[in-house]
Amino acid sequence: MFANLVDGIFWDVALWVFAIGVLWRILSIFRVRNKPDYSEPRGSGFAGAVGANLRRFIPRSEMITRTRLQVVAGYLFHLGLFALLLFAAPHVLFIEAQTGLGWMPMPYWAFIVAAQLSFIGLMLLWIHRVMHPVTRLISDADDHVAALLTFIVMLTGCMALIEQFDGLRVFHRFTVELLMVYFPFSRLMHAFMFIPSRAFTGAWFGRRGVKA
Amino acid sequence: MSSSKRSRIRHHRMVVFSLLSLLVLTLVLPLIPHAVAELGESTGRVANPGTELWRDVRQRDRSIVGATQVKGVDSGVLINVHGEDWRQFRMQQLIPYGAALMGIVLSVILLFYLVRGPLRMQGGASGKKIQRFNVFERTTHWFTVGIFWLLALTGLVLLYGRFVLIPLLGPDGFGLTASACKEAHNLFGPMFLVAILMLFVTFVKDNFYVRGDFTWLLKGGGLLGGGHVSAGRFNAGEKIWFWIAVSGGMVLCVTGLILDFAVLGQGREVMALSHVLHGIVALVVITVSFGHIYLGTAGVEGTLSSMTTGNVDEAWAKSHHDRWYAEVKAAAADADETEPGGVASPAGEG
Repeated sequence: MFANLVDGIFWDVALWVFAIGVLWRILSIFRVRNKPDYSEPRGSGFAGAVGANLRRFIPRSEMITRTRLQVVAGYLFHLGLFALLLFAAPHVLFIEAQTGLGWMPMPYWAFIVAAQLSFIGLMLLWIHRVMHPVTRLISDADDHVAALLTFIVMLTGCMALIEQFDGLRVFHRFTVELLMVYFPFSRLMHAFMFIPSRAFTGAWFGRRGVKA
Repeated sequence: MSSSKRSRIRHHRMVVFSLLSLLVLTLVLPLIPHAVAELGESTGRVANPGTELWRDVRQRDRSIVGATQVKGVDSGVLINVHGEDWRQFRMQQLIPYGAALMGIVLSVILLFYLVRGPLRMQGGASGKKIQRFNVFERTTHWFTVGIFWLLALTGLVLLYGRFVLIPLLGPDGFGLTASACKEAHNLFGPMFLVAILMLFVTFVKDNFYVRGDFTWLLKGGGLLGGGHVSAGRFNAGEKIWFWIAVSGGMVLCVTGLILDFAVLGQGREVMALSHVLHGIVALVVITVSFGHIYLGTAGVEGTLSSMTTGNVDEAWAKSHHDRWYAEVKAAAADADETEPGGVASPAGEG
């Protein structure tokens, strides 16, 4: 009964909420108009946008000592999660069944390594967020709920890895659906917005001849 | 008597003798193997080929590795006789004694708390704070704690689940839970190695033996009466816990990796031995951690904040780690002298 709901109506609802919510958020941001800029351009806005996007992948030299942990953990988590999401064999099969599009999944050992690195990164990032007085102060419930939901989704996915019990697969899918419903209303939207927001800042400064 | 009659009588005698001989041989010959077997047993030899075969299969007298076309570790061994030893140990020693150990220690801690109560700061809290652990140290601690308890809980489910969870969840429910716990345990195991190495690198410099540690131990850290005992940044009890956690953690990691990666060429005996060692060390570390948790929370007033906010009350520092408190104060005074008007920044914050 529950499995039918999770594989059926719950999935459809979660997918629609996710798709419409993400589109709504993106469109609402792009619909915000800036005042026209009549000043003489001192540099290329496009180059500024591209440059800012690339430069933000590397921490600033002044901050490297203090942000070493966050940078390493951040890369571990995001790269690991990206690999799990798109290249784990069960996910590739699922996407292929849903869309007809399939690609080469990563081998089992790579899945395990990616999952472990991703877990290490996520745990370190969240614990550091809670332990550091500044990040603790600027964090709110959304940050913690998003981290916890992501952790639960990853954990239930790994628990269902052996695919011996359908109940574990159903539980994993249910947590994924919860995350998909929560996603558009949270800071998890940065998954879609980090490139446009870097580009906007980079272009704005680039037009004024400033390296952002 | 005619010669023909004598000849007939002799013939009859021969026939009777032959028949009797045949009868005797028929009865006696089958007894020969039994007689030989009897003699053989008395000299340590076994003649029954069937018995001998099964003795060899079960490897009762000697270790035998047979020939097979299957290529692999232990593939020539029909029955691993030590598997039964391992099973007996797990069911009859590890599980009951482990439960008893954890139960007794938890009961002693509870009794101690009810009788003695928490250890208070001398003169009460001063309201002045001093930094004990920086952000990285606290992050490392809680990262290790998170992985340790995830592994401990999933491991305890695998060890005690059949007794505790089957009555609650039923066999099918427990099967699902056990499968989930096994996958999580195997996945998080190698991550514990990262945590233990981080813990070791972060805290090792303050956990070597120094003068005064032995005195601290003799006085039971002040718990056995006589008030507070002088200590540096970490007292002898904390140092012992550190080395139990690190060395026990390393044993757990190595034996866990042997169990996790069964493709590295280790045989069944190595796997069984690793499992036994893994179980014993895990139960010991979990049990000792009860004491650590008690002393870090309810057992000693004002300790928990050292690992949450990173700060402790100066009265707490003076009470439990007076030598460390003096060092911190001296360092702060030196910093004030070198930077007039400056305030000593918390060490390593960020």
